[in-house]
Amino acid sequence: MSGSLIEARGLAKHYSAFSLEGVDLTVNEGEVVGFIGQNGAGKSTTIKALLGLFPTDGGASSVLGVPSDELSRASGAATKEQVGVVFDAISLPEHLKVADVGRIYQRTYATWDAHRFGRLVDEFGLDTKKTVKSLSRGMGMKLSLACALAHDARLLILDEATAGLDPMARDEVLDLLRDFVAEPGRAILMSSHITSDLERIADRIVCIDAGRIVFDLPKDVITDEMGVARCRVADLEKIADAGVVPDAELRYLHHDYGIDVLVPDRFAFAENFPEIPVDRMTIDDYMTLTLKGGVR
Amino acid sequence: MKRAFLLEMTIFRDYARQLVGLGLLVSLCIGLGMQTPLAMPATLTCMFFMMSAMGLAAYDQLNHWELFRLTLPLSRRDVVLGRYAAIVTFGLLGMAVGLVAALAATAVVSAVGLPGEVGEAFAFDPGMLSVMAVVTCFTLLIGAVVASVVTPLYFRLGQTRATQILPTVIVLLFVVPVVVLGNSGMLDGGIPGMELVSAALEALDTPTGMVVGCVVLIALSSVALAISAAISLKLYERREL
Repeated sequence: MSGSLIEARGLAKHYSAFSLEGVDLTVNEGEVVGFIGQNGAGKSTTIKALLGLFPTDGGASSVLGVPSDELSRASGAATKEQVGVVFDAISLPEHLKVADVGRIYQRTYATWDAHRFGRLVDEFGLDTKKTVKSLSRGMGMKLSLACALAHDARLLILDEATAGLDPMARDEVLDLLRDFVAEPGRAILMSSHITSDLERIADRIVCIDAGRIVFDLPKDVITDEMGVARCRVADLEKIADAGVVPDAELRYLHHDYGIDVLVPDRFAFAENFPEIPVDRMTIDDYMTLTLKGGVR
Repeated sequence: MKRAFLLEMTIFRDYARQLVGLGLLVSLCIGLGMQTPLAMPATLTCMFFMMSAMGLAAYDQLNHWELFRLTLPLSRRDVVLGRYAAIVTFGLLGMAVGLVAALAATAVVSAVGLPGEVGEAFAFDPGMLSVMAVVTCFTLLIGAVVASVVTPLYFRLGQTRATQILPTVIVLLFVVPVVVLGNSGMLDGGIPGMELVSAALEALDTPTGMVVGCVVLIALSSVALAISAAISLKLYERREL
């Protein structure tokens, strides 16, 4: 597909206790794709497979048009000039000072922008004399983000990059990411457990569970159209009998005070069942109802 | 490869500085203990080859650096060749520092005029330079062979696992053959070609022989490192990070 910065089809990787099974994932130009799932669901494994960090057992993937397995070979390594990567913890030798990290990137990326790195370091309040070891988790993530944003990348692959950041720093980072993706030809794949961040920035949400993609939906469909009906047990039967929601799509989750029901169109639902309160759907709600909810 | 090399040099820079200081002290102690300045470049050359091979590998597994490094615009081939280039650079740096330190120590002892055996041993003798060159080249070979053995293991197994099995590998490669050959009596003249080795050692006493000896030792070191690099390339290509 033209305009795809990341494309994966049927990606498979088998370990003794876990497998990625037929993962399909596309990140198009101009998109921020939120990649969600429980711990151990396969988010990081998928990201590493996309980056060609290990051989896969099936399927195919490409980053910026280059097959993932070429990215660590001489033929494809230069493509990574245009990819900024942040893992869930700072991944640099801990004895290096912040200034050394800048030097390392300068020697590695032909497109390194030392001024931009300096500006970001200042904005993030990083002390260039501090070592990586002495940085807190949040400051370490800020350093990683500053590196990823300072070499004119077209694609950012962020694995839990906002973890450890305080709310104000997260705001700041989300603004930077918004500015980044506003430039033509760019995109972001962002895995995160902080779904409120994704609600603010993502265009599409892809969820993985036990190594399989469970859903891939525009974020607006989840947060603007869907809803969670807060029902009593009797209401569930009433909703099912009315046929407003097809039986196969009627997902629900029991809790102590009633039943939450997934509603594909909360406005239509409110018209049909004005007596049943229906709330706006969050990404967390949708993931929980999809992964843990029952189908009638 | 140049990028990977520069990366290694930046990462190892601080440790190398510490190593120079430590190495100078150790080599001076060994030189004084053995009552010869020849030990100084020999010690530093060997030490820098081994320590850079092991030290650089140690950084690989800190903070998953080894994994993250491959998200930078480098190929696995760049990483391997950059590592070997760094090991050779640091090894030669050790050699240079050792030679300068030995000459400086000799100059200081001569200037101060130390009495006794140490003063005699460290007194400047032009003939010592060629012997120093041969001895240093021999330790270059030792350092290069050790680096050549350990580096492919680090690339294949990672530093933690490789360190666990390295003592066994070293014993198997360097100790067992000597013990077996010694007990078999082969070292007493039974090995074919021993006469040739003896003749080569005698030839080292001549100026031409020394030059040829140095060239051969440097060539052998280069061959060991080249073979090792080729093996590392194959092993690292298939390594699952």
